[in-house]
Amino acid sequence: MNQPFTESDLERRRAASRRLGWLLGAIVLAIYLIGMFIKR
Amino acid sequence: MSIATTHPAEHPAEEYHGGWMRWLTTTNHKDIGTMYMTFALVMFFVGGLMILGVRAELFQPGLQLMKPEFFNQLIGVHALVMIFGALMPAATGFANWMIPLMIGAPDMALPRLNNWGFWLLPPAAILLTLPFTLALFGIGDGALATGWTFYAPLSVQGGMGVDFAILAVHILGISSIMGSINIIVTIFNMRAPGMTMMKLPLFAWGWLITAFLLIATLPVLAGAVTMLLTDRHFGTHFFDAAGGGDPILFQHLFWFFGHPEVYILLLPVWGLIPHVLSTFSRKPTYGHTAQIYSFIAIGVLSVVVWAHHILTSGMPVPALIYFMFSTMAISLPLAVLFFCWIATMWKGAMTFETPMLFAVGFIVLFGIAGLTGLVLADVAADAQYHHSYFVVAHFHYALFAGGIMGVMTGVYYWLPKWTGHMYSEKLGKLHFWLTVLSFNLTFIPQFFLGLAGMPRRIPDYALQFAEFNAISTIGAFILGFSQLLFAWNIWRCVRGGPKVESRVWEGAEGLEWELSSPPPHHSWETQPVIK
Repeated sequence: MNQPFTESDLERRRAASRRLGWLLGAIVLAIYLIGMFIKR
Repeated sequence: MSIATTHPAEHPAEEYHGGWMRWLTTTNHKDIGTMYMTFALVMFFVGGLMILGVRAELFQPGLQLMKPEFFNQLIGVHALVMIFGALMPAATGFANWMIPLMIGAPDMALPRLNNWGFWLLPPAAILLTLPFTLALFGIGDGALATGWTFYAPLSVQGGMGVDFAILAVHILGISSIMGSINIIVTIFNMRAPGMTMMKLPLFAWGWLITAFLLIATLPVLAGAVTMLLTDRHFGTHFFDAAGGGDPILFQHLFWFFGHPEVYILLLPVWGLIPHVLSTFSRKPTYGHTAQIYSFIAIGVLSVVVWAHHILTSGMPVPALIYFMFSTMAISLPLAVLFFCWIATMWKGAMTFETPMLFAVGFIVLFGIAGLTGLVLADVAADAQYHHSYFVVAHFHYALFAGGIMGVMTGVYYWLPKWTGHMYSEKLGKLHFWLTVLSFNLTFIPQFFLGLAGMPRRIPDYALQFAEFNAISTIGAFILGFSQLLFAWNIWRCVRGGPKVESRVWEGAEGLEWELSSPPPHHSWETQPVIK
C-alpha cells in the first residue's frame, strides 16, 4: 500500500538534511582554513 | 528490483511567479535542473568559440590572427569555461532533474540552497569572461593568461584577469559545494522506503562519490587561490621563491584538487552510461554492486595520485615511483567498469538509438583516454610527453569523449522524459556521426604532434608540424559547427514533437520511468515502495 508523503515525515527528513548539510559545510570550511595553520 | 507504485494524481496548478521571477525564485528541482542544463549549453558554445579562435590561429605556422597574449587568454579561459561552466553544471543539471525522480523523492532536500547554488553561476561566468570585454575598452590587459592551472609564479605576476579568475573560481566553488551538500543529504535522507543504498541507481551512486570528492578537494583549490591572491596583493610569499616560498607548492595544491576534478567530471557519466546500456540492450545492468565498489575505489584513489600531473617537477625518485604505480592502480577499478559495460551489452537485444550510439562511442573513445593515460603515468615516458600535444589529445579523449559525449548520451536519453516529446532521431544520429568523426579528425593528429615533440600552449610552431595542425583545425571547425545540430535538436524537442509515454524506452527500468513524461510539478507525492 503506497502512502502519500506526510508533512511530518517530510519535515523530519528535511531537518536531518539540514543538520547533515551544516556538518558538511563545517567540514568544507575546516579544510579551507586548516592550511593557514600548517607550518612548512 | 520490483516497484510497486501508483501514478500520482494530477496536481492542482501551483502558484507560479510569471516570467523571469519564476526562474529567479524557483525551488523546484526540475526547473533548477533545466536552468543548469541551459547554462551549460550556453557556456559550451562560449568555450567552443574560444577554442575555435585558437585552432584558427594554429591552422598555419606563424602568427595570423592574434597576439600570443590573447592566444594564451583564450586557452586558459576555454578550459575554465568548459570545466566549470559546461561540464560541471551539466552534471549538476542531470543530478537535479534525475536524482529525486530515481530515488522516489518529491524534491531535493534543501530546495532554497539549490536555487542559490545555481544563481551563483551566472555572475561567476561573467567575472571569468569580463576581462576580455574590459580590454576592448582599454581597461586591464585581458583575461587570465596562465592556462587554467594558475601556475605560480606566472599567476603571481599576471594582470588583473588573474584576480577576476580567482574570484570567479571562489564563487564557482561555493556553488559546487552547495550542490554537493544538497545531493548528499538528498540521497541519504529522501530515499523512498525500500530504496537501500545497494539498490540506489548507479547514476545516483556516481554522483554521491562525486559530491564527496568535491567537498574534500574544492576547499583546497579555494585555499590555494586565496593564497595566490594574498601573494599578489597582500605581501605574502607562499609561492614566491624570493621570499622563501615555493612555486611547486602551488602545483601540488592545485592538482590535489585538479586530479579528483577529472573524476568529478567523469563519475556522473560513468553512473549514467550503465542505465543507457541496460535500456538499449534490454538486459539488467551487469555487476551493479561491482560498479558501486569501483566508484568508491576510484574516488579514494583519485585523491592520492595528484602528482602524476607534475612528474617532471623534480620530485624524489620514491615519490615518482609511488605516484606512477598509484596512478596505474586506478586502471583496475576502471577496467571493472569497462568489463561491466561490455558484459551488460553481451548477448543483449541491442538497438542503436542515438543515446546508445553515444554510449558505445563513449566506451570506445574513453578507452583511448584510459590507455594513453597509462602511457603518461609512466615516469620515463612522461619525461618525453609532458607538456606536449600528446597530453592535450589525451585529456580531450577523457573530457570531451568521456565527459561531453557522456553528457550528450544523458541528454538524448532523458530529454524525452523531461519534455514529453521525442527528439529527431535522424538529426541525433547525424549529430553523433559528425561528432565522432570530426572529434577524431581533431585529436588523433594531436597525438602525433605530441609524439613528434610539439609543445602545448604555443601560438606558433615549427614547419614540420604544419600538416597535422591544419587537419586538426579542419576537424575542430566541423566538430564545433556540428554541435549546432545538437542545440537545434534540443530546441525542436522542447518546442514540440511526437508525444512520448511515461516509459520512453521499451527496455528502461527504474522509478523515473514510472512518472509521466514530463513529470508532474511535484515529482513524487505518493511514496513509491521498492520491494
